[in-house]
Amino acid sequence: MSESKLSRRDFLKLVRTALLTASGVIGLGGLLRFLSYQSQPAAPDEFDLGLASDYAPGSRTVLPQVPALLVRSETGFTAISLVCTHLGCTVESGPDGFACPCHGSRFDAKGNVIRGPAAKPLAQLRVQATPDGRLHLFVH
Amino acid sequence: MRRLIVIASALLLLTLLGIAWQEAHRVKPVALTPTLTGKVEYCLSCHGDLAQISKSHPVQTFGCVICHGGEPLALDKNLAHSTLRGGANPSDFSVVQASCGGSNCHSGTPESYSDHIQRATTSIQATYAGAIAVMRYAYGAQSGKGALFGVNAVQDSASTSGITSLGAFDPAAETNPQLQLFGQNCLTCHLSAQPMQNGGRYDHFTGCAACHTPTQSTDLTSVNTRTATSVHELTTAISYTQCDTCHNRGNYDLRTMTFIPRTDQPTDRLHDYYQPIGQFTTCEVALDCIDCHTRTEAMGDGSLYGSKYDIQYIQCQTCHGTLTQLPQTKTLTDPNDLAFRLAGLNPVVNLQLGDTILVTSKGEPLWNTKVLPDGTYELVGKATGQVFKFKPVMGSGCQQDPNDQSSASCHKCHSVQR
Repeated sequence: MSESKLSRRDFLKLVRTALLTASGVIGLGGLLRFLSYQSQPAAPDEFDLGLASDYAPGSRTVLPQVPALLVRSETGFTAISLVCTHLGCTVESGPDGFACPCHGSRFDAKGNVIRGPAAKPLAQLRVQATPDGRLHLFVH
Repeated sequence: MRRLIVIASALLLLTLLGIAWQEAHRVKPVALTPTLTGKVEYCLSCHGDLAQISKSHPVQTFGCVICHGGEPLALDKNLAHSTLRGGANPSDFSVVQASCGGSNCHSGTPESYSDHIQRATTSIQATYAGAIAVMRYAYGAQSGKGALFGVNAVQDSASTSGITSLGAFDPAAETNPQLQLFGQNCLTCHLSAQPMQNGGRYDHFTGCAACHTPTQSTDLTSVNTRTATSVHELTTAISYTQCDTCHNRGNYDLRTMTFIPRTDQPTDRLHDYYQPIGQFTTCEVALDCIDCHTRTEAMGDGSLYGSKYDIQYIQCQTCHGTLTQLPQTKTLTDPNDLAFRLAGLNPVVNLQLGDTILVTSKGEPLWNTKVLPDGTYELVGKATGQVFKFKPVMGSGCQQDPNDQSSASCHKCHSVQR
């Protein structure tokens, strides 16, 4: 029966290879993590709201992702920003207008100021229909 | 040589493992880009469990840094906190302008009702000018009771009270040892003074948060666990228990110039509200301080004063009238009336255009009151939401002295017995 005996040189070589391989794997992992880092995307300027036909005539739809209120009237689509012009809180939409829960500003249904501290009306946002019947809303 | 290479490889692996371990245990960044600033901050990585501070300051709109300062992009605690304003309290008056100021925030104009910082920092509660003046007068350091010094030097060139500036009171510069003691032991209840104890019934923040951050539970039967390091809340619904952290803690002994704290441990409102020697009426003990005392009485009107009696003016007749006069009222016709603004911040009442409310002799709205159709009145507690109905003195059997409208006069007949 023959006994295989690892020489000291081979043992050190094996250990060295194992250590360097492990280091390489860890280093590669770190490199991949670094390269795959994605910074936070900037807030979008444009929102795809889906098909225009999804919004019934006379409907008022709150779009929390914008935030805005999309209104479909007889003449078409309009959108009002729900960002309060005082300090930027999100205003709440009611039947008669908008109310800011932060500091009590009130706006009429068209977004005009009824009560401060806000001094400017809510922003009107541009809504555009694409040839394939989709709605796009532009924040700026 | 081969051994050295193995050792170097082992060290390299250990180093890499150490870095990997550190990375694995690093705080996972949680980014927030507040609407107001538009600049990303990572404070919520560690503080995501904090309660929203108030509905007027939602974190999604304000973020943290605009009020607290700090390093918005740091994930290391020490680095992130290295530039905090006022430690845990950005409303301390030493930093309040940077933290809470701004024309759209709390250092705007009186016309926009946003001059809070100017009013608070010149108020008698901040300057302590009255107490300092009286003590200096009593011990012969000044010839009259007029205010010359405050806790801090303060200027008000637009003052309507006649006092345009106060110097900083320096006890060490006083020659009378009693005044030196006064300075050492008795300047403990102005708005910049640290609380006399941490935790318990008299703990509070400094600055705006002294009043607006409720460090006191209104449940007197339990140990108060809210402390001035744990509470993250701002409110205008201020319970009397918060006022009591300064105003009802005990008394000063002016012979020894030491503070003697209350020793009783009341467990009900009737005994907690006032110290045993005090007289009070039912409404004084059933209501909270802010139900009667107005914003300018508590926070000042922007001018410097030398005595609380120059700014405190609410009397029983403000709400109850006299034998010959009903209390002053006002019908709300302007949607921008201050009453709506104040009611919006603490919506215990649903004020509407056309409502008639009580107003003070200076025209300040008592926005939590309403004149009812039958000629009686209603007051809703600002801190409790409790509804109180009351009648005018006119037409009642009240035997008041028309020339004495002080509360002491009313206490003669209407004092609550304990």
